[in-house]
Amino acid sequence: MGYRLIDHTADLGVRVTAQDMPSLFREAGLALARIMGATSREKQESIEASVEGIDHVDMLVRWLQELLYLIEVKHVRIAGIEVRELSQAKLTALVSCRLEDTPLKREIKAVTYHNLDIRPVEGGFEASIIFDT
Amino acid sequence: MEGLTIRRIDPYRLEIRQRPPMRTSALLYANAGIEKTIEGEEVIRQVANVACLPGIVGPSMAMPDIHWGYGFPIGGVAAFSLEEGIISPGGVGYDINCGIRCIRTNLTSKSVSPVLGNLLALLYSTVPSGVGSSTKSFRVDRKEFRKILEGGSKWALRQGLASNGDLEAHEDRGCIEGADPDAVSERAIERGMPQLGTLGSGNHFLEIDAVDKIYDEGTAEKFGLFEGQILVLVHTGSRGLGHQICDDYVHSMLASASRFGIDLPDRQLACAPVSSREGRDYFGAMASAANFAFANRQIITHLVRQAFEAQFSACWERLRMELLYDCCHNIAKKETVSFEGKAQRVCIHRKGATRALPPGDTRLPDRYRKTGQPVLVPGDMGRMSYILAGDENAGETFFSACHGAGRLLSRQKAKKIAKGRRLIEELERQGIRVMAASRSTLSEEIPEAYKDVAEVVSTMSGAGVARIVARLRPLAMVKG
Repeated sequence: MGYRLIDHTADLGVRVTAQDMPSLFREAGLALARIMGATSREKQESIEASVEGIDHVDMLVRWLQELLYLIEVKHVRIAGIEVRELSQAKLTALVSCRLEDTPLKREIKAVTYHNLDIRPVEGGFEASIIFDT
Repeated sequence: MEGLTIRRIDPYRLEIRQRPPMRTSALLYANAGIEKTIEGEEVIRQVANVACLPGIVGPSMAMPDIHWGYGFPIGGVAAFSLEEGIISPGGVGYDINCGIRCIRTNLTSKSVSPVLGNLLALLYSTVPSGVGSSTKSFRVDRKEFRKILEGGSKWALRQGLASNGDLEAHEDRGCIEGADPDAVSERAIERGMPQLGTLGSGNHFLEIDAVDKIYDEGTAEKFGLFEGQILVLVHTGSRGLGHQICDDYVHSMLASASRFGIDLPDRQLACAPVSSREGRDYFGAMASAANFAFANRQIITHLVRQAFEAQFSACWERLRMELLYDCCHNIAKKETVSFEGKAQRVCIHRKGATRALPPGDTRLPDRYRKTGQPVLVPGDMGRMSYILAGDENAGETFFSACHGAGRLLSRQKAKKIAKGRRLIEELERQGIRVMAASRSTLSEEIPEAYKDVAEVVSTMSGAGVARIVARLRPLAMVKG
């Protein structure tokens, strides 16, 4: 369970797997932070992040976009993610982090909906997400 | 969409026949060499998906640098009726008005060669580049930022950062009409405001080139080009502002698609009628980001001129550092096109494509009225770039041409090929100096990752859309 990079000609793709839906959202968030070089070992504070969407696919994109915003603009460097609430239309999570304006490893412009679906696989769920880089 | 059939029309054009739910056919500009590089079914399906959208006028088109994008393909061109058609943020892309400009000089490669390393270092220290790069000298307040969104390079002119000649050499004089800063979210402003006057990362670059070969003497003379001449290319866009605007409006249009009865084969194709509130708001926000991008490239031009002034102890006017042209690559614009003998107003989407006006077009400034519009086509790090001119057949593509070489390999594959190679030294052996904020970005942009740009421009030239004027040889570059 975790993530691996996948091929896409123009951009960067990531395939995330997890045992259940809340873990899938957590793993996807951690994958984004690792790819961007926005992780931290130190938990300085916790930020509550909340997104709403029309279904899980929509919420996964919005959740990653929320994290992208926190990383790029608020200089959040992520130490851990705890998904508190996940329904068909709403996600609430606690992001433990450190706030520091350290240089990022890679720019992600956006999280796209392109070919995104969440599939049940043996032992859990899988999602393939394409980032615009 | 199963069973798409492609047939070759002539040596430069392929057609995807219309079949339900496509509303029109698709037209791909590709010679035999380019055809081999069109990767599998994904990109073909993307061109066909665009042909399914409401109100499309003429075919869904793909330029020869086409490659797999998200939603619309990169290199895609599609026009939609202003009355019955749609506008789509995914049809413009995240980096709204990512574009390229070319600055001329009166310097020659021979005179610049001894100081090239120093000049490159000056440019690298003067122009902020790299992941999350933020502005050093151009911090503005909210009120001023709003003026940039409304005015683009016209704002830069008022600030003394541009000349009248610069504005003439911009698409739409550096300001897309209809910008509405009120349609731009707070979050987009937060992301964009600190990034004014920055290059960014990824495929964005600043490059010193020498004119290597002139193909069309008459046009080159009108463009002010001569063999051995030093030119500067600047490639960047609207940074975080554009990225966030695209996000914001993909969301709002996904939510409204069912209300407008729009069936989306891919969520990334989210769209709304051009005439709807959602459509109008997106256009106003997108035009604001496009204007920011014009101003961004103009500020970088100002910084480039300062670096040259410091290096050569002469003012930029004496160095004849005039703007040849500034082209948008990712944009939606309201233009008039002619299809099946009928002129109509459309919202044309160019995603990874350049406008290319033919000789005689009244939208061109006097200096280019007889030649056609300069079309700037950057190659990749190790290969040549080209300057073309819009030609007689440009009406066929609704005045659009290619925008670059077009990616061939994924970033992952490029990195694998580059592993263990000393890229900077390799390029230096070819006479190309590079300063890069990130080695990782550099390895993703290796020459092998792109199609051969010569094949791309010869397809455009063969189709009569844009003719080749000059070839440029890269000498030095700053990569973000």
